[in-house]
Formats: sequence, C-alpha cells, structure tokens
Amino acid sequence: MKIIVCVKQVPENDSVKIDPKTNDMVRTGAQGVMNPFDRNAIETALELKEKNGGQVILLIMGPDSFTEVLRDGLAMGADSAYLLSSKEFGGADTLATAYTLVAGIKKIGKPDVILFGRQSEDADTGQVGPIVAEDLNIPQATFATKVETISATTLEVDRDLESSIQKVEIKLPAEITVRSEINFPRYETPINIVKSFDKPLTIWNEKDLNVDPDKIGKKGSQTIVTKVYAPKKETKQVKFLSKKAGDAAKTIINELDL
Amino acid sequence: MGNQEIWVYVEINNLMVEPTSFQLITKAKQIANGRKVVALIAEPKMSHLESDIKEYGPDEIRILRDERFRGANDEELADALFQVVKRNTPNAIIFPATVRGRSVAPRLQAKLQTGLTADCLDIYYDGDNLVQVKPTYGDGVMCNIICPDKRPQMVTVRPNIFEAKVDRTIKPKIQAAEFEFHEDARSEVEAEEPVDHTSTDLTNAKVIIALGRGAYSEKNVELARQLAEKLGGKVGVSRPLTDKPEFTHSDQIGQSGTTVSPDLLINLGISGAVQYTVGVEKAKKVISVNTNRDAPIFDLSDYGYVGDAGAFLEAMLGNLE
Ligand SMILES: Cc1cc2nc3c(=O)[nH]c(=O)nc-3n(C[C@H](O)[C@H](O)[C@H](O)COP(=O)(O)OP(=O)(O)OC[C@H]3O[C@@H](n4cnc5c(N)ncnc54)[C@H](O)[C@@H]3O)c2cc1C
Repeated sequence: MKIIVCVKQVPENDSVKIDPKTNDMVRTGAQGVMNPFDRNAIETALELKEKNGGQVILLIMGPDSFTEVLRDGLAMGADSAYLLSSKEFGGADTLATAYTLVAGIKKIGKPDVILFGRQSEDADTGQVGPIVAEDLNIPQATFATKVETISATTLEVDRDLESSIQKVEIKLPAEITVRSEINFPRYETPINIVKSFDKPLTIWNEKDLNVDPDKIGKKGSQTIVTKVYAPKKETKQVKFLSKKAGDAAKTIINELDL
Repeated sequence: MGNQEIWVYVEINNLMVEPTSFQLITKAKQIANGRKVVALIAEPKMSHLESDIKEYGPDEIRILRDERFRGANDEELADALFQVVKRNTPNAIIFPATVRGRSVAPRLQAKLQTGLTADCLDIYYDGDNLVQVKPTYGDGVMCNIICPDKRPQMVTVRPNIFEAKVDRTIKPKIQAAEFEFHEDARSEVEAEEPVDHTSTDLTNAKVIIALGRGAYSEKNVELARQLAEKLGGKVGVSRPLTDKPEFTHSDQIGQSGTTVSPDLLINLGISGAVQYTVGVEKAKKVISVNTNRDAPIFDLSDYGYVGDAGAFLEAMLGNLE
C-alpha cells in the first residue's frame, strides 16, 4: 500500500505578523511545528503500512525550513518525504495549494491512500483534502474516526458526522481526512530520530513539477484577503460577587433563578 | 458573471433539516439587497422538508429529488450540485460549516475552480462581492476575504452565529432542479447510526460549564460534571484541556472548536483569549470565575467571582441542594 500523508507546518506561538502592504501573513521568525492533527494522519498511515506492507510518504508545500517538520514525520516512522518549495508557490489559497500538492502527488506516482489531518490550526479548515480528491477524481472519506483494511483495494472507514456515525466502504485509491480522536500518535524514538537523517528527502520546485504558472501561488488563488484586523470586542458591565464563595453562589442562584 | 441569486444549501441530518440551514436562509435574506434567496435541497422522494423550509421565507426552494440521496456519498452530492450550478450559476452559495458541508463544498469548489472560504463568522455584500469574515492565525486576528473574479462565491458558515427567524410573509416558489443522479460506486455508505453525543454536543446546550487551565483537576472535572447535570447542561473546555484524558477536541469551545450559544455560561479558570471568546459571544448570561481580577474574561461577563474555581463549584453545588 502506497500511502501519501500531506502535512502542514503551523506557527508554534502567536507571534505572527501581518504584512501591511500585501495583507499576507508573515511567518518567518515564528517557530514552526507540525500541525498536531497531521500526527494522527501519519499514525494512521503507519498502522496501515504495518498491516498491509508498503510505504509511507510525506508531502508538504512550503519554504525550505519546512524540512524540519518532515524530519519529525520521518522520525515517527515514515519512509520518505517530499517538499514542494518555491517562491512561486507563496500566497496560495486552498485551491492553488491543492493544485500544487496534486502535481507533487502525480510526480511521486499514484498512491493508494492519501491522508490528511482533520484541519490545520490556522487559516484553512480541512478543505484541501477534498479538493485534492476531486482534482485526482478519487473518492473521499472525511472526518474519519476509524480506518480498517478490508482488502488490498478496499478500506472501511467510520466517519463522525457529529450527530451520526457513518460506515463507508471505500475503494482505493482514496483520500481520507482523519479526526484527532482516531488514535494516539506514536512518539519519535531516539533510534528513529537517528535513522530519519538517512531517509530520502526530496525538494521540488515549480519547474520540477511542470505546473501551469497561472494556477500556483497567489496567481492561482481565487480568493484575496482584503483586510486583517483585530475584532472589536463587545464588553459587558461585570458585577463582582462577594469573595465568600457561599455568598457568591447564593446571589447567583437567586438572581438567575437557578 | 453569475446571476443575482444567493443559494443556501439545506443540509439534511437524520431526516430533518440541520438547523444551521435555517439560520443561513435568514442571514441571506438580511444581506440580499434585492438578490433572490434560493434554498437548495437534495432530498429523497418521500421526504418533504420544503414544508419546514417554507417557514423561513426564502424566495424560492429548489429541489433536487432522487431516492438515492438517502445514503448518497460526497461525490454523488457534489456531482448533482455541480450540474445545477452549471445550468444557472448563482452569485453565491452558502453552506453550513458542518461536517457534511465542509466535505461537499470543497469538492464542488474544485469542480467549479472558484474560491471557497471556510468557517466564516460573518458575511455581507460590498457591491457584488461577498465579504467573508473569518478568524485567522495570530493573536485574535480577523480577516476579510473576497473572491472578485469568479462566481459563484462560496462560503461555509459556522453553526449558531446567526439567528433563524420565521417569515411567513413570503410564499416561496417551489421548483424542481434539473439534474441526473450519477451513481458513484467507489464509496458506499453501508450504515449510518444516529449518535447521542449527550456528553459532547455543546452546540445546542442551554447551560455550559466551561473549564480552563486554571480550573483543571480531576476533582474539579467531577464537580463541574455534577453541576452541569444539576443545571441540565454540558461541560465544555478551553483548548489546553483537550490534552487531558477526560476531554477531546469535540469538547473544545472557541475558534478552532465549537461556537456555543447557551442561555447560561459559567467560565472557570479561563483567561479569555480571543480564540476562546469568539466561540462564546452568543452566550446570554455569563458568570466567570478567576483568581485574577484583571483577567480579560471579566470584560464579557455579567457576574464575576474573583477566587478559586473549586471553591466556587463546591459552593454552587452546596447551595443548589
Ligand atoms: C490558531 C489558534 C486557535 C486557537 N483556538 C482556540 C480555541 O478554539 N479555544 C480555546 O479555548 N483556545 C484556543 N486557542 C488558545 C488560546 O489562545 C488560549 O491559549 C487558550 O484559550 C487559553 O486557555 P485558558 O484560558 O484555559 O488558559 P490560560 O490562558 O492559561 O488561563 C488560565 C486562567 O485561569 C486562572 N486561574 C488560575 N488558577 C485558578 C484557580 N485556582 N481558580 C480560578 N482561576 C484560576 C488564571 O488567572 C488564568 O486567567 C487557540 C490559539 C491559536 C493560536
């Protein structure tokens, strides 16, 4: 089973700046970590590999510094990693990001399973997986809480639709977006960290991918950010209660009729 | 570039209309400014949810009817919607940011090669552009997004941001949408069982006891659950607590969690970071408990108790007896 896991790096803290001219988020400087939900996707991939054999390949789009996140994923146990890196890819919305990832996936060679984490912590909210699935014309199972192997070409996936659980049998190749509830991602062991430095990590730019320059980066994006601002806060007039917890509780119970 | 219609995708959940769709019909009417509001529904033969939708007064209800929508997969739904959009491209399509909306909308977007903004907290028109407001990364930063060159403009909007209002002054025209159902056997829905997320369904809870980092202990979790039970409510958490064994991501309130709108919210040991507060703006009465009198959470509270969360919980439980 050939499994590609698309991962993303997100800033670790809130020190993200907005470029006042372009309205783009400037992330240089902010320390990046792997989107925590992506660890669940890697874990799912590793479990599928343990059961079915094959290989787990990581794919990410972003600047060269993102190789660190890929090393983390390799240290968890993935076999190889690809970074799609170029200035031309910058400023991409979900549509352009998916287009670029699809170009990478096609060049890697058609996988059986493409995995995504539920959503990234920052801007895009789990859209890229379904767009990639549509662009590749393969079926999807989003918000998965369980993935089981039925055969070499079929998986059974439980999807948590919030008010119901749906059981789906899906033919490969397929795209699956996993929820964080699906598993507990394994830790990187010292031995795997050492090994990760010998695993292949390939970097491709737009020329390697042979992409349409009008479909990548800012140019390929249909959405534009027009304004970034701090929301105005509605404030209330707070009534502070007695410092004695018992009196405070009584006041509330009386005034709110609890 | 598209006609002047706003389409609201009406989602069906356990044979009923998912309530966000009603909220979005009301919102679409409020921002329409002369544009026609069309409720779009894909339903099986015997389901007649248009009678429920009518109550909210869209200008038109357009129905994609086929028995196979019972148990249709995302691919089949996106394909059917695509055919209808292609025939008659609307100005905008609004989806609920539910699991299903978030799964089908991006597939449709990819077919249309247009923009889609996920998880909006507000939408309004500026000329012909639908301004899409959503939180973005950073310390409480919001952004406005537009899709200037392509139609339809697509968004998914969070549940419970807007209020659904019944409007019987409009008698919506009911129309059948033309399309062909294309079966896609690559993914097959084998079963779908309703689940009772009583412990986690915060979206519709009337009372929420919210625990934050400052209130976390095994004992306080137990006390909060007791209090929630007594008040007929649910326990929710701020993000740091989703790492604790008692909670998961579905218990999280806030920007990357659930937006809630309870009648009563009790915040315990929560500082009031913007990413948390955007999720509780619609709460009616708010009580907050924090050891720090200057905590920002008090700015959006009706009542404040400066002191220990555990002591407050015990006092509440003791006095409610
Ligand atoms: C992209 C992004 C998305 C995010 N999304 C979310 C989200 O959806 N939801 C969310 O909650 N957060 C989210 N966050 C995190 C958010 O910024 C805050 O870090 C988080 O809300 C803080 O949680 P807290 O208030 O429980 O903890 P803290 O900020 O640590 O506050 C603890 C509070 O408890 C008080 N306290 C201490 N001891 C006691 C005691 N004994 N009794 C009473 N009070 C006590 C302290 O005075 C303090 O005010 C997000 C962050 C980012 C960057």
